[in-house]
Amino acid sequence: MNFAESFKIALDAIWVNKMRSLLTMLGIIIGISSVIAVVALGSGSEAVIGQEFESFGVNRLFVTTSYSEEITSRDRLNHADVDAIERSFSEVIKAMTISVSGSGQIKGRQNQDPISVSLNGVNERYNGIEDIKLLHGRFLVESDVKAKRAAAVVDSGLATELFGRTDVVGERLTITSRTSMSYIIVGVYEAPMTAFSNIPGFEMPKTIHVPYTLLERLYGVGDRVNGIEINLVMDADQKTVVEDLKALLERRHDNIGQEKYMVFSAEEQLETVNRVLGLLTTVIGAIAAISLIVGGIGVMNIMLVSVTERTREIGIRKALGAKRKDILMQFLVEAVIVALIGGVIGTVLGIAFSYGIAWVIKIPPSTSLGTILLAWLFSAGVGVFFGIYPANKAAKLDPIEALRYE
Amino acid sequence: MIDIQGLTKIYDTGSIQVEALRSVDFHVEEGDFVAIIGASGSGKSTLMNILGCLDRPTRGRYVLDGVDVSSLSDPQLAVIRNQKIGFVFQSFNLLARVNAIKNVELPLIYGRVHKAERRQRAMEALERVGLADRIDHKPNELSGGQKQRVAIARALVTRPAIILADEPTGNLDSHSTEEIMQIFKRLNDEGVTLIIVTHEHEIADNAKRIVTFKDGAIVTDDRKKVINERYWPELAAYVTDYEAAGLSAEEASSDKCSEPVVPSGEVTQ
Repeated sequence: MNFAESFKIALDAIWVNKMRSLLTMLGIIIGISSVIAVVALGSGSEAVIGQEFESFGVNRLFVTTSYSEEITSRDRLNHADVDAIERSFSEVIKAMTISVSGSGQIKGRQNQDPISVSLNGVNERYNGIEDIKLLHGRFLVESDVKAKRAAAVVDSGLATELFGRTDVVGERLTITSRTSMSYIIVGVYEAPMTAFSNIPGFEMPKTIHVPYTLLERLYGVGDRVNGIEINLVMDADQKTVVEDLKALLERRHDNIGQEKYMVFSAEEQLETVNRVLGLLTTVIGAIAAISLIVGGIGVMNIMLVSVTERTREIGIRKALGAKRKDILMQFLVEAVIVALIGGVIGTVLGIAFSYGIAWVIKIPPSTSLGTILLAWLFSAGVGVFFGIYPANKAAKLDPIEALRYE
Repeated sequence: MIDIQGLTKIYDTGSIQVEALRSVDFHVEEGDFVAIIGASGSGKSTLMNILGCLDRPTRGRYVLDGVDVSSLSDPQLAVIRNQKIGFVFQSFNLLARVNAIKNVELPLIYGRVHKAERRQRAMEALERVGLADRIDHKPNELSGGQKQRVAIARALVTRPAIILADEPTGNLDSHSTEEIMQIFKRLNDEGVTLIIVTHEHEIADNAKRIVTFKDGAIVTDDRKKVINERYWPELAAYVTDYEAAGLSAEEASSDKCSEPVVPSGEVTQ
């Protein structure tokens, strides 16, 4: 008997027991669809985070004092350090700014709740570090920073929230941070899309860029510098720069080898995030894959029932000249087809699920053809693995006994 | 066609050994029509299983259509079953899910016959049993007699060396029984070699040869004697006595009676 005949017989047997076949497939369907959905969302978020880092700037460094080591006043970064860094690394630095972060509140329109904002104190070169897409007006300029002007570059979303429009250059804005101060809006930038900004409960406060000098005065930090943002040129060797930076600062503060300074690099963070995400996808995927094993056992169970039910049929086929391998093939093909149909239905459902979830959390799922083919191959494998035992049992039946079976 | 010598089958059940066949010698010529008769447990089913290559003898030689099948492997036996043997069972053993013609095609599928030829040969076989108009019917849409005719067509379709029928009328009413036996007789007239296992004498009487089994051995292969014993037990006893005295049965009957009175000329062969 050839393969085409086995295939026809198997399809026929599946069709005769439609409901049972569907229930048998259910385990495989659930398993494959969850694996597909998890992988699609996992690689979807990976892609989104990758893009986000790209716009954030992959060559970005952030220099600050260590969170874990004890920092004395002698170890603290100061303005002279900033100048020294700028001098020593001028060849690899594309843009650099002292970074002072703060938070504040803006009165909402007409008695609404106040809006929390985060204040990002930077210099005029910051738009060479982060890719800021201006919609209206301009970014901070050197004179803003030098004169410590209360100039603000706001997010378009905030502009809409406060003024009902985005073209708000020239408007004034009162931000309360320690004390209330009136700012003049000099620019409006496009609100960046982030992977998690659309997940309910994950809304981040809107960022307002202001001159760092203003915040230094506002918070009275004196000569202290909390953080330095640096963007390296494209071909810079990040790891070497990071090491050299630390070494320079340690020499300047005479604390060599004490790990008082930390340099975060975007690249490193992206790797970490991707590693965590990959691990998460693998773990969830593996848990989902367990249901595939359960599904496979379901297939085996039904195939065993089917073999028992069709004992007489097997006897007839053997009497008429079917060899062991013909019978083996017939039942194996049936198991594989059940598993494979389950796999195909599971794939379709899994993709549908991932789009459903994506619609809520706004992360576009990414399903590759490779993943789908792998899923199908895997379901066929489940069919073979769990079908071989029942099929072999059928093939080994003694024709005389089988013909006598009632 | 069939040449069996010293065929012995012992079932080893562990504690006891059952000798189902005891050194049976048995020959069937091409075109013969043999009925094997015997009580249950006489060994006739065991012989049938071995004749059908579903089982192997413990000892002895079985040559079927020139092939010594006593020492073949399982896959080789499957090929022999497919090509040289046609089975007709008591309970028809048709596949319930497929229609008549598909049932008849089944052995040809395992014989790797091409689709078009398969269909044509199945059609011819169904015509031979008079079911050309029922090819699309599934078994549950056919009467018992029609089912058995489909089964006979299935046995015929591979043009086997021999057709083995195991109690072929056991599940049929008298009308269908008559119908099936007529088909068997006609097929035999057309040259098909037939072996029927039965416990019904009326069925066995249709055959050219009647072989009686008892306790795993052939007790008689003499059709005339079997029929005489059945219809004229006194005469048969007389003949036996005569034979014991060294005279032939013909002499005995012509001496004692004018003519042996047997129904419908069945003995005159």
